[in-house]
Amino acid sequence: MSQLDSKSRKLVYFAGIVVLSIPIIFLGMPSRGAEGSGGKLAQLRGEYDLGEATLGKVDPSSATMNLVLLGFRGVASSMLWKQRIEQQENKDWAGVKATTESIILLQPHFLEVWRFQGWNLAFNVSAEWDDVRDRYYWVKEGAKFYQEGTVRNSKFPELYWDTARVIGSKVGNSDEKRYFRKYFLNDPDEETFGGGADPDINPNGIDNYLVAQDWYQQANDVEIMPGIDQHILMRMIFRSYPARSQFDYAKALQDEGLFNEEGHAAWEKAYDMWTTKFGREVFITPAGGVRLEFTDKDLEELAAEDGVTVEEKQYWTDKYQKNVNYRYWRTLASAESEEAARDAHRNIYDGKQLYRKQKFQQSEKDKEQGGGTETWGAMEYFDQGMKQLETLLRDYPDLKNEMAAVEEAMLAVMYWRNIYELRGEAIPQTFPLQDIWEANQGMVPEIQLQFQRENTY
Amino acid sequence: MNLNFDKQPIDILQALANWGLIFGVLVCIGLAIALIMSVANNKKKGVSRFFENLGEGLRDLFGMSLKRLGAIANLTLKEAIRRKALLVFVVFAVLFMFGGWFLSDTNNRAELQLSVYVSFVLTAIGWLIFPVALILACWGIPEDIRLRSLHTVVTKPVKRSEIVLGRILGFIGVGTIVVGIMSVLGYVWILRQVPEEVQSRLVARVPVYGSLNFRDREGEDSEAGVNTGDINPYRSYIEGASKARAKWTFDGVSPGVLQTDPETGEAALLVENSFQAFRTHKGVIDEVLHGQYTLVNPETDLRVQLPQFPIYEFRQNLAWIPRELIYYNEETKETETKDLFDDMVSDGKLIVEARCVDVGQFLGMARPDLFLRLPDRPFASSFFKSVFGIWLMMVLIVVLGVTASTFVKGPVATILLFTLILVGTGFNQFMDDILSGEVRGAGLVESGIRILNHGNPIVEKPESLEESAAVQGVDQAFTGMLWGVSHIIPNFNMFSFKAYTASGFDVPMKVAVLPALLMVIGFFIPCLMLGYFSLKLRELEAK
Repeated sequence: MSQLDSKSRKLVYFAGIVVLSIPIIFLGMPSRGAEGSGGKLAQLRGEYDLGEATLGKVDPSSATMNLVLLGFRGVASSMLWKQRIEQQENKDWAGVKATTESIILLQPHFLEVWRFQGWNLAFNVSAEWDDVRDRYYWVKEGAKFYQEGTVRNSKFPELYWDTARVIGSKVGNSDEKRYFRKYFLNDPDEETFGGGADPDINPNGIDNYLVAQDWYQQANDVEIMPGIDQHILMRMIFRSYPARSQFDYAKALQDEGLFNEEGHAAWEKAYDMWTTKFGREVFITPAGGVRLEFTDKDLEELAAEDGVTVEEKQYWTDKYQKNVNYRYWRTLASAESEEAARDAHRNIYDGKQLYRKQKFQQSEKDKEQGGGTETWGAMEYFDQGMKQLETLLRDYPDLKNEMAAVEEAMLAVMYWRNIYELRGEAIPQTFPLQDIWEANQGMVPEIQLQFQRENTY
Repeated sequence: MNLNFDKQPIDILQALANWGLIFGVLVCIGLAIALIMSVANNKKKGVSRFFENLGEGLRDLFGMSLKRLGAIANLTLKEAIRRKALLVFVVFAVLFMFGGWFLSDTNNRAELQLSVYVSFVLTAIGWLIFPVALILACWGIPEDIRLRSLHTVVTKPVKRSEIVLGRILGFIGVGTIVVGIMSVLGYVWILRQVPEEVQSRLVARVPVYGSLNFRDREGEDSEAGVNTGDINPYRSYIEGASKARAKWTFDGVSPGVLQTDPETGEAALLVENSFQAFRTHKGVIDEVLHGQYTLVNPETDLRVQLPQFPIYEFRQNLAWIPRELIYYNEETKETETKDLFDDMVSDGKLIVEARCVDVGQFLGMARPDLFLRLPDRPFASSFFKSVFGIWLMMVLIVVLGVTASTFVKGPVATILLFTLILVGTGFNQFMDDILSGEVRGAGLVESGIRILNHGNPIVEKPESLEESAAVQGVDQAFTGMLWGVSHIIPNFNMFSFKAYTASGFDVPMKVAVLPALLMVIGFFIPCLMLGYFSLKLRELEAK
């Protein structure tokens, strides 16, 4: 046993504490905020961006939970995951939401947790509900969840992209899009939002595709920061999304019958974003940097910079253009910006509206009196629209190879033929868009389904 | 807010008979062992010693003094407080001070928040009382022995049965104070936290359930509807615009079940459903599916079809059925009037048939998905019944803990009880599933052989195993043991009534409260006897 008395022992303990404190202070002293300040661990944390604050907003409740659980965070989060799955199987939606929030408290910087749970809320949970307003509510919950993810993890471009995907594609391109897009501007929960948009996901009360575009842009802004990568898409495709969202916006306006200046401007902006912003970005290929929108001079300069031939640059540019279907989207934006395209779509759209109202043809009396377009029936509108579409496709033959343009043409012809059948009249031997109709007979069953869907609800 | 389970009331007589049988067998085994040991230790005097002890034991158990019990219980209470058992309130206060931060979500639906708040409070109370009861009960008597205070007590005119029961009562007293205060505070907290717009939903609905039968699309009787692929087979589905029906038969229907319809001000029968929709095609997207009830007199088969109604999933779909039923009779092609009780109810029985209106779509339902609703009780009724469930759980933990502490030391008793609770909470259902054959996996040895051979439970049993009597025999023995264990370890899930309270239902006495109460009593009696004899026969110096 020690020969020291109590006082001496305490002094020895104290000295030991002081000595041991020196390496602890050296290693663990917290940072004062300035770069390079603090102990070794704080410096390393700063160097490798591992600090809580550098990942995103710090949530004190989350940090507390992890501290309190000591080393049992993994066990606790696994139990919560299991519990959430059971709650979902039992359709305990309040529990699902609450458990999801708890999981996030424990795993705030685990990207896949945010991605999985956000998707689950927006796509899986929403599909479990029958009322379309309920489904929209859960889609919003998914979007808000992703948004919260971006706040807590400001350097994960994937989460910005996921937010945009829910707001853009889920709201704008699902079976319920007709309602979801409307609800995005005028939330069905009138009691809470007073008939306006839910400010948490649409603070400015604008179109869902424009909000999505903003999120895609934020994803791009984060993605371009040094040391950050995204791991969900080929980089070039990932960066094309802000412009693609503008295309979706223009197309949605067109599908909803908005053929005014707003619709026209949307296509022009899409063209502009595609060619002058996305198209002018430099992407790295095995032959160095390429631009998808280029001039001969660009090619020569880039080739000289990277010490490769112009042909090599041309080869890789062409290859990369194909990856994002660059030329098609450029042609589409260019074509749709024209007055003729707008007229063609408008006439086909008006034809469909009149078909639903069962006004198939201009009356004989109106015809005799030389009535204007306001007296036309669906047949006259389809005739006119099909002719204009045929001209457009002749001017922009590239569009003939694309599904969307062919579908529109085929569908217009199907409506037009159906009117003849309903009226018990023989279908003319020759008609506009005939070459497309005959060349794509394999698509008829699919177009038939689309035709039925458009006329079912 | 729906129930996702279907609990049936227990057969009390059958339960008592089972308990009596198991209790009797265990007592007989215990007595036989005691007799053998007594004879082995005392030779010729063994038998008389055995009966002396038995007689003394019975006197001790049935002749306890309330005064002495009260004194021991009082001392136990004071000791627990001195040991800072009430520090649990600090944790409770912290939880509730900051709980709102974690739970409140202004964007979340108010009605969904409600169940989250209620679950949180009841879970918090349950989880906080659990360690307090466990540690106090398991360490009380062993500490007395270690500190030799029990040596002093046993020299006084106190029976050992009084020590055991006094300890139990004292710890129950501590637990009651803790649960009582936490539940009142929790109740107030819920009232304050729940958004104003859903305060009116803080009620305890009182359902009257019927029995459910199905008819298939051809109109033939069937046990269940269609399985639409839902991972949870709880609900069965009926096809829309077909002869498929779900048929509930209610007993004891009398004018007493009527309530005042707030719209008409007249007495009416309130029927609530929580059906779920399943679409095979998109249909009309912005319209929910529709259902329709038909009231049927079980004797005369008189049928009255009621108006169609929309199904709003995961909400309360209410239908007020007036006493005077005016309906269009398809056969006579005339509008007729019938009285709900005089014409539709026979011997207190009423049949409610439900059908899905929409072609090609399905409605899903389980027995508790349609019920007659009696006047609501206050939320406090359901909340405090749930608290009573937690209290019963605490009592059982104390009883088991004190009993265990009479024959093993504190740490061992704690681990033993913790294991019992763990198995009784998390593995009870699993054991039942194995015994009932629900879980595929065969017996212990066979499973081991399958694992070594990389054969999953789906693979056909190899012939060698089929024929091996040894494997079958050992497996049967293990299964028998599992059966015993599953019947001896209490099912702690029986004490959790929070699903009812969180879903806005009153906690049913017969289905939930009574079985839990009986279970505690069922464990209390043998545990008291075991605890007493353990303490009486053990050598106190063997610390």
